[in-house]
Amino acid sequence: MSSSNNPSSRKEKSSGERPSKAGNNFRQTFQEISIKHASRRRITNKIVSIIAIVFVIGAIIPLASILFEVIKNGVAVLSVQFLTQPPGAIGSDAGGIGPAIQGTLITVGLASLIGAPIGVLSGVYLSEFATTSSVKGPKQRAISFFANTIRLFNDVLTGLPSIVIGIVGYVAIVLALNSFSVWAGAFALSIIMIPIVSRVSEETLKLVPNSLREAGYSLGISKTKITLFIVLKNAKDGVLTGVILAISRIAGETAPLIMTILGTSLFFTSLTGPVDALPLRIWRLASQPYESAHGFGWGAALVLILIILALSASIRLIARGKGIRVRTETI
Amino acid sequence: MITNSIISKIMSKFIKNSLVIVVMTSLLLTGVMTVSMSQRSFAQLLPKQMQTPGQTSINGAGATFPFPLIDTWRVEYQKVKPDVNINYQSIGSGGGVKQFTAKTVDFGASDAPLTAAERAKATNAVHIPETIGSVVAAYNIPGIPDKGLKLTGPVLADIFSGKIKKWNDPQIQSLNPDKKLPDANIVTVHRSDGSGTTFVWTSFLSKSSPQWNQTIGASKSVQWPSGVGAPGNEGVANAIKGSPNTIGYIELNYALNTKTPYAFIKNSAGKFVEPTLDTVKQAATDVASKGLPKGDASWEKVTLLNDKASGAYPIASFTYLLIPKDLGKSPNMNEAKAKALVDFIKWAITDGQNFSSKLGYVPLPDQVVKADQESLKSLTFNGKPI
Repeated sequence: MSSSNNPSSRKEKSSGERPSKAGNNFRQTFQEISIKHASRRRITNKIVSIIAIVFVIGAIIPLASILFEVIKNGVAVLSVQFLTQPPGAIGSDAGGIGPAIQGTLITVGLASLIGAPIGVLSGVYLSEFATTSSVKGPKQRAISFFANTIRLFNDVLTGLPSIVIGIVGYVAIVLALNSFSVWAGAFALSIIMIPIVSRVSEETLKLVPNSLREAGYSLGISKTKITLFIVLKNAKDGVLTGVILAISRIAGETAPLIMTILGTSLFFTSLTGPVDALPLRIWRLASQPYESAHGFGWGAALVLILIILALSASIRLIARGKGIRVRTETI
Repeated sequence: MITNSIISKIMSKFIKNSLVIVVMTSLLLTGVMTVSMSQRSFAQLLPKQMQTPGQTSINGAGATFPFPLIDTWRVEYQKVKPDVNINYQSIGSGGGVKQFTAKTVDFGASDAPLTAAERAKATNAVHIPETIGSVVAAYNIPGIPDKGLKLTGPVLADIFSGKIKKWNDPQIQSLNPDKKLPDANIVTVHRSDGSGTTFVWTSFLSKSSPQWNQTIGASKSVQWPSGVGAPGNEGVANAIKGSPNTIGYIELNYALNTKTPYAFIKNSAGKFVEPTLDTVKQAATDVASKGLPKGDASWEKVTLLNDKASGAYPIASFTYLLIPKDLGKSPNMNEAKAKALVDFIKWAITDGQNFSSKLGYVPLPDQVVKADQESLKSLTFNGKPI
C-alpha cells in the first residue's frame, strides 16, 4: 500500500512547485488510478493468500489422515509381545512382528553400509575430482564426459522402478546363491540408496566455499587431506542428511524385497537365509482375509512410520541452526 | 601442552557433532544388537522359537490357498519338534512352482499339478497332496443375500465368457424359479495374478463348455473375454463384496471368512450341491479309491472336477507340496535337514490333518495319506533312503 503510494507523493511534491490546472488534473487522475490499483492489489493479495492456505491444508490432509488412520488402527495391537515375538498362526491373535522389525533393521543397516560409502565417495568424486580447471585438451573433455555420464546414470537410477531393482537382486544374488538372502535384499536397497546419497553429497560439497580449499592449498596440504579433513568435514551435516534421507526412503521399500528376502516368520539366522521386513510383512498381512492379520498390519505400519519419523526428526536435529540447505528435488 | 589443547579441541568438536554419530551408530547398533539378542537374551523370553545352532530352519513358498493351514502347522509343529522351524510364505502357486524349479526354497506348494513343461524343468519333483480345496462361485446380488443360487457349469461358462449378460437371463431364472433376479448387468470378477484357483476354475469351465475349452482353455492365467480383475483370493472377495451384481470365483474358506454368499453347483449326478467339507471329501475319496499316480509321476491327469459320486461338489482340487525326489541335489540341504523336512510332511499328512476342518479344509482321505506315505518313502538323500 505504502509503496504504491510513494510515486504519487513524489509527484505531488514536484507538481506543488509549479501549480497548474493541467498538473492538478494529472495529480487527481494519478491518485485515483493508484488508489484503484492499490485496492485491486489488496484484493488480489487476499485471494491468492486464501488460495495458498487452502492448498496448504489440502496438502496436509492426506498426511494427517494417513497418520490418523494408522494410529487409530495400529495403537490397539502395540504391546511388548507384539514387538518382540514371532508371529503366531495366521488368523489368531498370538505372537507379534519381532522378526520383521529385526529384519528391517538388519537389512537397512547392511544396505547403508554398502550404499552410503559408495554414494558419498561418488559424490566426492563428482564435486572435487571431476573438476576440469587444472587440465586441458582431450583429458579435460574425457573427464567432463565421464562425470556427466555418471550424473546421467545416477538420475536414471533414481527414476528406475524399485521392482526392477528387486529383479536385478533376484537374478544377481538369489539365483547365484540359490537362496533368498539378507545380502540380496541389502544389495537391492543399496542400489536405490546410492544415487540419492551421491546426488545430495555432490550438491552439498559444492556449497563449501572455494576459499577454504584455496586456504588449504596455500598451506601446502595435499588434495586428499583437503577433501577429507576440510571439504568433507564442512559438508558433513549435509552429507549425513542425505544418507539419512536415503535410509528413510529404503526403509519403506517393499517391491525390491519381495524378490530378494522372501520373508519369514522366524528370527534372523544367517545373512544367506531369508529374513523378514516391515513393509513386506505389511503387504503380506494386508492380503490375508483375517481381521487379526489386518490389525497386525496396521500395527506394523505404525511401527514403520515411527522408525522413519525418528530418522526424519534426527535430520531436523542435525540440520537445525546450521543453515544447511540440501537440494532434495532429485529424490 | 600444545598436543593437549589440540586433543581437547578435537574432543570438543567430536562431542559437538556426536549427535550425528550417535544417530548413525545407533541404527547400526540396534541391528547388530537385535541379531545377538535374538540368539542370547531372547532365548529366555522365547524358549521355543529361538534360533540356536542346533536348530533347523526349513523354507517353503507357494500357493496362497493352503497358507492358513500350513501356517497353523508351523506353530503346532513347533510344539512337537521345538528344534525344527518351518517358514512358509504365500507367494501364489505360480511363484511356488518357479521358486521350487529355481531351487531357492526347500519345498514349493501349488494348487495345480506341474505341467509337462514344468516337469521337464523341475526334474525329479515329487507331488505330495497335503490338503483339499474347493472353488466356489461367490456373488453379490441385491435382494439375494443368502447362499444357494443354483448354477450349472455351462451357465457359468456363458456368464464368464460374456454371453449371458443379465442376472434375469432365462437360463439363470429357469434354474432358480423361487428367486427374484434383478434386471441388471452381470459383472464378473477374476484373478489378475497367476493363480492355482484360476487353474481349477478354468479347468471346470473347460470341462463344462466345449466352446470355452477351445477359445479360452484352462491355465493359471487366461485371456478373460470380459469382467474385472483383482489380485489374490481376498482381492476377488473384496471386489465382489464392494460392488453389486458381481460374481467371481474364490476358494471356500475365503468365502466363509468374508461371509460372501456362494452358489450351489450342479454336479455330474444332476444334483445341485453346496460346497461343504463333506461334499468335497466325497469327490476326493472317490478319486483316491480309483488309485493315485506315484509321487514322482505326472499328476496332471488327477482331477477332482465333476466327480461321479452322487453327493460330490464338482469344483474341488488337491493342493500339492512339491519336494525334490533326491534331496541331496538341493543346495542349502543336508541330511539332517532333509530328514527334518520329511518328518514334518509325515506329521502334516497325519496328525496335521486334525487342524484342517476347523480352518475350513478337507482332511485327506486315508487312501491319499497312504499314497503320500509311499511317496515319502521313495525320497532319498544322495541315493540313500531317508
